Amino acid sequence: MGNRSSLMLREEEIAQIQQETGFTPNQIERLYSRFTSLDRGDCGTLSRDDFLRIPELAINPLGERIVNSFFQDDMYNDRVNFRQFMNVLAHFRPVKKNKDNRLNSREAKLKFAFKMYDLDNDDLISRDELLAILHMMVGANISEEQLTSIAERTILEADEDGDQMISFEEFCKALQRTDVEQKMSIRFLN
Amino acid sequence: MYAFRWYDPNLPRRACRVGFLVLVLLLVIEHATAIPTYENNNNAFADTIPTAKTLSGPKWNSVPRVKRDTSQGSSSETTSTTPQSTASPSSEAEVKHFEFASIEFHRVETPFIIGLWIFCASLAKIGFHMAPKLSEIFPESCLLIVVGVVIGVILVHVTDSVHMSPLTPDTFFFYMLPPIILDAGYFMPNRLFFDHLGTILLFAVVGTIFNTLTIGASLWAVTTTGLFGEEEKFIPALDMFLFAALISAVDPVAVLAVFEEIHVNEILYIVVFGESLLNDAVTVVLYHMFESYSEMGSDKIVYMDVVAGCGNFFVVAIGGTVIGVIWGFATGFVTRFTHEVRVIEPIFIFVMAYLAYLCAEIFHMSGILAITFCGITMKNYVEANISHKSHTTIKYTMKMLSSSSETIIFMFLGVATVNKLHTWNTWFVVLTIIFCSAYRAIGVIVLTAIANRFRLHQLSKVEKFVMSYGGLRGAVAFALVRLINPKVVKYQSMFMTTTIAVVYFTVFFQGITIKPLVKILNVKTAEKRKPTMNERIHEKLMDHLMAGVEDILGHHGNYHVRDRFKRFDNKYIRPYLLRNYQGAEPKILETYSKLAMRDAMEFMRRNASTIGNISGTESMSGIFKNYTAGNLDGRCEEKLLTCTSFSQLDSSNWNIDMQELEYNPSKKDLTDAKIHHLLAEELCQSKRHRRLSYSRHAVNDRDLSTQVNYKMHYNMRRLVGDSKRHHHKRHSKKLQKEGKQNHVSFPEFQQNGSAKQFSHDYINQVLSEEENAEPKPPKEEWDSPITFTAKSSPSDEAPISTGTDGSGSSHIDLYKRSKSNKSTPAQGYLPWRPTDRSQYDGTSLCFLAFK
Repeated sequence: MGNRSSLMLREEEIAQIQQETGFTPNQIERLYSRFTSLDRGDCGTLSRDDFLRIPELAINPLGERIVNSFFQDDMYNDRVNFRQFMNVLAHFRPVKKNKDNRLNSREAKLKFAFKMYDLDNDDLISRDELLAILHMMVGANISEEQLTSIAERTILEADEDGDQMISFEEFCKALQRTDVEQKMSIRFLN
Repeated sequence: MYAFRWYDPNLPRRACRVGFLVLVLLLVIEHATAIPTYENNNNAFADTIPTAKTLSGPKWNSVPRVKRDTSQGSSSETTSTTPQSTASPSSEAEVKHFEFASIEFHRVETPFIIGLWIFCASLAKIGFHMAPKLSEIFPESCLLIVVGVVIGVILVHVTDSVHMSPLTPDTFFFYMLPPIILDAGYFMPNRLFFDHLGTILLFAVVGTIFNTLTIGASLWAVTTTGLFGEEEKFIPALDMFLFAALISAVDPVAVLAVFEEIHVNEILYIVVFGESLLNDAVTVVLYHMFESYSEMGSDKIVYMDVVAGCGNFFVVAIGGTVIGVIWGFATGFVTRFTHEVRVIEPIFIFVMAYLAYLCAEIFHMSGILAITFCGITMKNYVEANISHKSHTTIKYTMKMLSSSSETIIFMFLGVATVNKLHTWNTWFVVLTIIFCSAYRAIGVIVLTAIANRFRLHQLSKVEKFVMSYGGLRGAVAFALVRLINPKVVKYQSMFMTTTIAVVYFTVFFQGITIKPLVKILNVKTAEKRKPTMNERIHEKLMDHLMAGVEDILGHHGNYHVRDRFKRFDNKYIRPYLLRNYQGAEPKILETYSKLAMRDAMEFMRRNASTIGNISGTESMSGIFKNYTAGNLDGRCEEKLLTCTSFSQLDSSNWNIDMQELEYNPSKKDLTDAKIHHLLAEELCQSKRHRRLSYSRHAVNDRDLSTQVNYKMHYNMRRLVGDSKRHHHKRHSKKLQKEGKQNHVSFPEFQQNGSAKQFSHDYINQVLSEEENAEPKPPKEEWDSPITFTAKSSPSDEAPISTGTDGSGSSHIDLYKRSKSNKSTPAQGYLPWRPTDRSQYDGTSLCFLAFK
């Protein structure tokens, strides 16, 4: 399979993706084979259903949001091609010193996490957006009131300008001490 | 006639030594009376019992002085300083009389010596902390060893030889090591540990085997050259490997002692410390393997023995782990049912962990692994089941036990150094130290190179250095070397001396220098902090996100495995082990409750002196709180501060009580309440009786009146963690039941809405509770008419306003009011009855008492 997929991927495509994302050709080929194995219809793009067919992702409380984040660049298209796929994954490359870290910088990683909350794309996390995420993560056993007060407490803690929302700057500030570079990185196999 | 005599005329030598210690202490205490010799001292002793002395005086003098028991042959050369073992045969022969006073030491000897050891060690510890300069340069472990050596030297000079009676390797392994390891396991940062488990295992297993083999082989190679002496040329290779097995293991006790002081970053810490814990399995196996090999003799080892040795490793390691995990789950399960007898909760944690250790030891498995994993496993489940008080108890007891064990171990190490069995072989010692350090460094470099290929966080050069430098040897090696049978291994004494030398070298040289080195090399140091709400939630989000991305990649990494385990845990384990299963993310709730509490505390601290400005909308409880805060100097207010901690903070309606957000009784509720109250009045009062003042199963809160603090903790915990809130009816039934019980875990406490912004209710509640504490029959209370309106009578406000003036007399008003038997509006419409408030009374009473 590895052979077949590498055949389908042209040299210049690899070079282009490498340029864009910083993945090594080996990693690109490996990921391409994963991409094609997810692509049931063999049409070179992935749909939401293709993602959600992964059993673990389907039961991941945030599964749908994660899938959504692959479709963000272009809202009208409900398919992802390999380049978009790679662009999203590039956010999770470990930060390397002295290298170009455009997509995988700390800020890019934080932005990615921020976008998970921010459904309406207004660059603000509202109480309801936070509450929605909490609902997904915490589950049903906890009452609405408790979740609401948690959400309010969280916003209160991060909110600096008093608009009852968390902006991206506030979000970054709240996670100042977190090792985001570590937490949001995956060791991609070569 | 009464006879005063030494009951046991021939104290064994050890007893004499302890006697000496006691006398030294006595000397210190009453050094006003200088007592030059023990003969005088003896008289001084007798002086304390004047009657006895005068009565037995003549006989004392007539007794021939030296009459020693010959049955204890070894003790015959007790020095003259020992408390006289003088007794006359004539007195023995005399008719037995009932004695006025008698001394019988040997009966208590062992526990007494143990107690004395602990006492001395702890005293020494206090001493160090009084000298800050000393403890800045030297790690505590060094100082304790020095004290141990000093005591050892004194003992040698006094009693001629040191016999470590109660402190044998068995004592070490059975009593002193488990608390330390349990403490380590229980407070292990699980997440970190499992994230780095791969690296840790690599070091613990491969690293230790590598060290053992290389050190053993190198030492044996040098042996054959005759450098250690002609005779030593023929040390069997197996003995060398036995020695190498025990000397190559990094020691958890020493590592803990040093690393806790240098505060390196958590990854570094967990890797070194995890290694020291997990290498126990390897050490145990290698040790037993080489021990039995050398018993068999090298020519009789067959191929099968080696294979069995390798297989044994898996049995020991996996068996120990499994035993620990099973006991851990069992502990979680047991604590599920302890809510009626909270006081015994801590004992389960300790006893069951200890049993796990002993179970593993029965099968010659790794006890350290068992107790570590028992701690790791039980923590998650136990913490959710036990009360806050038990949690605090466990925490402190564990810290106390482990730190005193550690103290004793290091002191023991010092004392045991001083004996006559040493065989010093300079070359052997020097080469062992060199090999230990060199191979440790080589091992670390090679293994980190391997580990880094699979790690996200690359271990840097500095970290490598600290890892190899932190490879301290300690008491485990020493205990193991003492376990070697000198009949089988001829050079046991040389090994022991060398082990001590290596331990000293690592603990002293490395232990002292590591601190400045860490500073010079600029190792990232750890910052201790509590996560904020944002961090907690966003980090959880990232966990899920990363697990999802790993799934997309089809890459089974840490996140994926963690995610799987969590799902399994939430589905199959937690529901069975937890009493109040709380949904998927207990950590978020935990953080929330902690933060809410901290905020409340912070608010109280800042506003402790202000006596609130009462506005029309201000809640009564707020006033009450301010009143207490102003008057009680912050001792009592925590009980009440939940009420309004946020009401003045920023938004006026901000309520930290998640349980009580908007309790708006519907019409149905109110009708239910009405009916219920009617029924309750008719049915339940006659069964009420006063609680017993003493209960073995519950700590009376009145006894704790100086620490009302916990009450708030408890309250918070309940508020946050309780899902019963929606079952008011069930509660009211339960309340009636609890009215009959002697100990109530105040279930009503959260319900009367301490955090709700009642108008005027809260204080009335408190007042009516006080009245229950009165000895008069509780019936009176129920006789009073109950109003079913939510509005308050104006008269209710009167005493409060006095209270807010901060005048000292206010409590009298409160108290008076409490006698007026007024049922409050709040009680009227709340659907439960204030049946048994006695727990609660304790606080309100002590509140008054503080005045």
